[in-house]
Amino acid sequence: MSTSAAEHAPGRAPADGIAARARGLTKAYGSGETTVLALDSVDVDIARGRFTAVMGPSGSGKSTLMHCLAGLDTVSAGQVWLGDTEITGLKDRELTRLRRDRIGFMFQSFNLIPTLNAAENITLPMDIAGKKPDEKWLDQVIDTLGLRDRLGHRPSQLSGGQQQRVACARALASRPELIFADEPTGNLDSRAGLEVLGFLREAVDRLNQSVVMVTHDPGAAAHSDLVLFLADGRIVDEMERPTAEAVLERMKRFDVIRSQFETDEQFETDGQFERDKRFETDGQFETDEQE
Amino acid sequence: MLKATLRSFLAHKGRLLLSALAIVLSVAFVAGSLIFSDTVTRTFDRLFASTSADVTVEPRQDLKSQVPTGEAQTVPASLADRVAKVDGVASVHADVSVQNITVVDSRNKSVGPTTGAPTIAADWYVTDRSPVALTSGHAPRGSGEALLDADTADKKDVKIGDTLTVLAQPGTFRVRVVGIATFKTTNPGAALVFLDPKTAADQLLGTAAKATSIEVMAAKGVSDAQLKTRVVDSVGARTYDIKTADEQAKSAAADLGGFLDVIKYVMLGFAGIAVLVGVFLIVNTFSMLIAQRTRELGLLRALGADRRQVRRSVLTEAVLLGLVGSTLGLAVGIGLAAGLIKLMSAFGMNLKTTEMVIGWATPVAAYVVGVGVTFVAAYLPARRAAVVSPMAALADAEIAGVGKPLRTRAIVGSVVGVLGAAALVGCVTAAKTASSASFLGLGVVLTLIATVIAGPLLVRPVIRVLGAAFPAVFGSIGRMSQRNALRNPRRTGATAAALMVGLALVGGMSVASASMSKSFDEQIDKTLGADFVIQNNNFVPFSKEVTDKVRGTEGVGLVVRQRFAPVAVRLPDGKRVETTAAGYDDGVDDVAHVTYAAGNTGAALAPGGLGMDVDFAKDHDVRVGSTLPVEFPGGQRTRMRVAALTDQDNSGGFGMQGGLFFGIATVEKYIPGGQDSALYVNASNGTNPDRLRTNLDKTLDAYPQVQVRDQADYKKLVHDQIAVLLYLVYALLGLAIIIAVLGVVNTLALSVVERTREIGLLRAIGLARRQLRRMIRLESVVIAVFGAVLGLALGLVWGVCTQQVLALQGMKALAIPWTTIVAVVIGSAVVGIVAALLPALRASRMNVLAAIAHE
Repeated sequence: MSTSAAEHAPGRAPADGIAARARGLTKAYGSGETTVLALDSVDVDIARGRFTAVMGPSGSGKSTLMHCLAGLDTVSAGQVWLGDTEITGLKDRELTRLRRDRIGFMFQSFNLIPTLNAAENITLPMDIAGKKPDEKWLDQVIDTLGLRDRLGHRPSQLSGGQQQRVACARALASRPELIFADEPTGNLDSRAGLEVLGFLREAVDRLNQSVVMVTHDPGAAAHSDLVLFLADGRIVDEMERPTAEAVLERMKRFDVIRSQFETDEQFETDGQFERDKRFETDGQFETDEQE
Repeated sequence: MLKATLRSFLAHKGRLLLSALAIVLSVAFVAGSLIFSDTVTRTFDRLFASTSADVTVEPRQDLKSQVPTGEAQTVPASLADRVAKVDGVASVHADVSVQNITVVDSRNKSVGPTTGAPTIAADWYVTDRSPVALTSGHAPRGSGEALLDADTADKKDVKIGDTLTVLAQPGTFRVRVVGIATFKTTNPGAALVFLDPKTAADQLLGTAAKATSIEVMAAKGVSDAQLKTRVVDSVGARTYDIKTADEQAKSAAADLGGFLDVIKYVMLGFAGIAVLVGVFLIVNTFSMLIAQRTRELGLLRALGADRRQVRRSVLTEAVLLGLVGSTLGLAVGIGLAAGLIKLMSAFGMNLKTTEMVIGWATPVAAYVVGVGVTFVAAYLPARRAAVVSPMAALADAEIAGVGKPLRTRAIVGSVVGVLGAAALVGCVTAAKTASSASFLGLGVVLTLIATVIAGPLLVRPVIRVLGAAFPAVFGSIGRMSQRNALRNPRRTGATAAALMVGLALVGGMSVASASMSKSFDEQIDKTLGADFVIQNNNFVPFSKEVTDKVRGTEGVGLVVRQRFAPVAVRLPDGKRVETTAAGYDDGVDDVAHVTYAAGNTGAALAPGGLGMDVDFAKDHDVRVGSTLPVEFPGGQRTRMRVAALTDQDNSGGFGMQGGLFFGIATVEKYIPGGQDSALYVNASNGTNPDRLRTNLDKTLDAYPQVQVRDQADYKKLVHDQIAVLLYLVYALLGLAIIIAVLGVVNTLALSVVERTREIGLLRAIGLARRQLRRMIRLESVVIAVFGAVLGLALGLVWGVCTQQVLALQGMKALAIPWTTIVAVVIGSAVVGIVAALLPALRASRMNVLAAIAHE
């Protein structure tokens, strides 16, 4: 459980440790009567060397969960560990360093600094830290993602799919303990999306990385090893070796429950929806499902 | 549409704040200077109007000297009796009032004002129009007694019973202070000593038969104008200046006006700088606001607003901003005027803030400047806003205008730049001062405009060089800050332009003043041959006694006196030139190195002889041997023969046109009793100059108005006088910097807002707050230094060209004050750091999650 990232055994291994862990993780917005729980006492273990997907309807708290695990957001109660470091209670400076050195990020859009070219974007976290990148590893990442001939390009000269590949390379470059991907395919067409998912899969299988991906797309979730289903701030289910059909079926059940109480709860929990919408970028879930 | 405009105005009030500040500053300077000069003018008009006699008879002043001649112009005292006989005269007084004196206390310290205001000695004659009243002690009786004004007594700690020494033209005498006279009106800053009338005439003018003016009061029912006509009929208008109270007040105010005009013009200069730099700030703010609102404007257009409406909406916003800024500026201007008035009382001019005059022109000017400038500055951005296509509402354009080619700018910029450069070349090659100076003015304006237009084009190459070391020194933070500065060349260019304008002026002026200092140094080295120069700081002449005492000092060899005389010459080309000529003793060649194109010193100083500058002579067809009609004060006319032409590098060293000079006997003949302005002293054979200096210092201890200077001291004096010009430059720099800082703050603040998501991303992937602040600081420094480099480069070119103009006046040396220039560059980096403080803090406080999710 306390093995460091460098000691990973190669190949697709079963869970050989815990990359991140939360106990009693609670995130509340507002106070007093208007308090809304985005996360309600969540216990979760993210396995090392695996590809974990977090799914759930809008407002289920999946993005909040990712932000809390990644040290981007503070928690209201409970504890979070990255590896064996407890990150709850860390100061901003320590959290910043932790994100820089031990976590990789991919967002849905606006992943790259427009003034830097692809190579500079990829090594940015290490440059910020003043560290030399591991050239061999970097070459491997760049070749795996097929970015060799794009390194000198600025983000504006890259397609959406290429941009996400650069973001993926950046997340991998410092060989972090855990990579968080927030809707990484949300802005891509299906081919480019598949490509990016393929790379994340490869990162886990060939480069032995640990990936947590938040998504609303059952097809994307199907690329993972394990799907965690979130609803109303709780983990309500999980699914090993998912398929798109199975995930979709599972999601449909939430939808029914959700539409039942959404009508009477919406006014009371206005605050929560407002806030969650800012963090979550889906909202097209229902349309997707109908397609 | 108006409602939308108002909403938008209020929504952006934070961002408009800095623009408003620029408007406030410029309006404040305009309003402050107008209020101040109105107040001063009104106060003195009142003072002079209330203290002038109904009719005053004065000696005729036909020629005004550029430097004081030290001579008190007089009328015969008997004139009073003649005037008294005129019908309608109620009373007549032969007034004595002179300024060619120095008053020192028992420790030989001058009690006169240190501000350049005069020390006046006058006869004690009380009427209801006297500006002063006896407030303690008693009136002076007979010789040896005097009154002193209360302000001077207070400032110099003189009490009743103290003894003062008056160094007057006829001779030095001592008086005991027997009373204090207090101003009933505004004290214009002078020191006043009153003597009893007979003593005044005797000891100040040397004879009781003279007076400096005749003051006439009209009998009841006789108007000032009527009385004037009758007095003119009686004594004639050719010999005397006869003025009514109104006329007298006006001319007195005009005499004072020169000094006040300087303050007014300096203030208006500040206002000009503030307006000029403020324009950039406003243009930039509106451009950025519009860039940010491209989508919103696109939506308005998509919803059916036509171009005119969009443009009008932006301009309405500008006018609102102008109105708010002008109103605040007017208020600040009133405060500024009050401050200036207080400052004047520190100089001894007791103006009252309660009597502040705000003429109708002040608010009109304030609003015209404030609203006008804002409107003009917002016009271009407004036009750009109007061409936003409705499609912009749908497109995901990051920042409008970034990628647009700068071709128009390049063309217009280079055309104006070439014209400006041509004008500067014209300035350098022109042979005449007047045409050269106008070429310079044109060149300065055109090159400034060209640099402002082409500024954005220079951003890339210059910042590439300036920031070249950044990635190496600061890593990816340095790289990002450098590229951020390059991101929107228009914006960076306009922001830097604000700093550029001020620093270009500073650069130009400092080169000019350094060159002047150097030229004067070389000039002094080359021409001044005397061991010592004895003179007053401002060429104010001193009494004959000083000359006598210096001549009597042990170890003094040759003494050459210099005395000035106002003259008018009628030249062969038909022109009449009024100027000031200098008179010298023989022996000039031993105290100065004068080079002659024709003739020699002896010929020029001989009776009836005249020397002048060879260039001036050429310009006006004068040759050696020409005989010119020359006028001296009091309508005296004579003809003088041009006996020598000087070919000095620096004929205009004292700014006297023509460089006319002749023997001191000529001055004495036409202006009897004049005072010397300078003495050039050589040590006698076998006397060590150091020893002589000690002797001279001892001799002159009793005469604090004059100083002994050797060459080094003399250079220092000149440098100090030029330094005054520099102080003005530094004050300009200060104001320009304040506004430029506002501009940089503005740009950075808006950039930070625009890059919210980018900042959020950087923070998410591990950029520390400190690093983020550094990134913004570095960007700010790059922009500021870019502005400084551009400004100084322009300023250096201007300075070198200015020196070329000065060279025509004989100031041939060019000096570039590198230390100042380096200091300015370093200072601009500091400015960048200061400007980045708030925006950097704001960026580092940004919530990471909110920033990531920011639209």
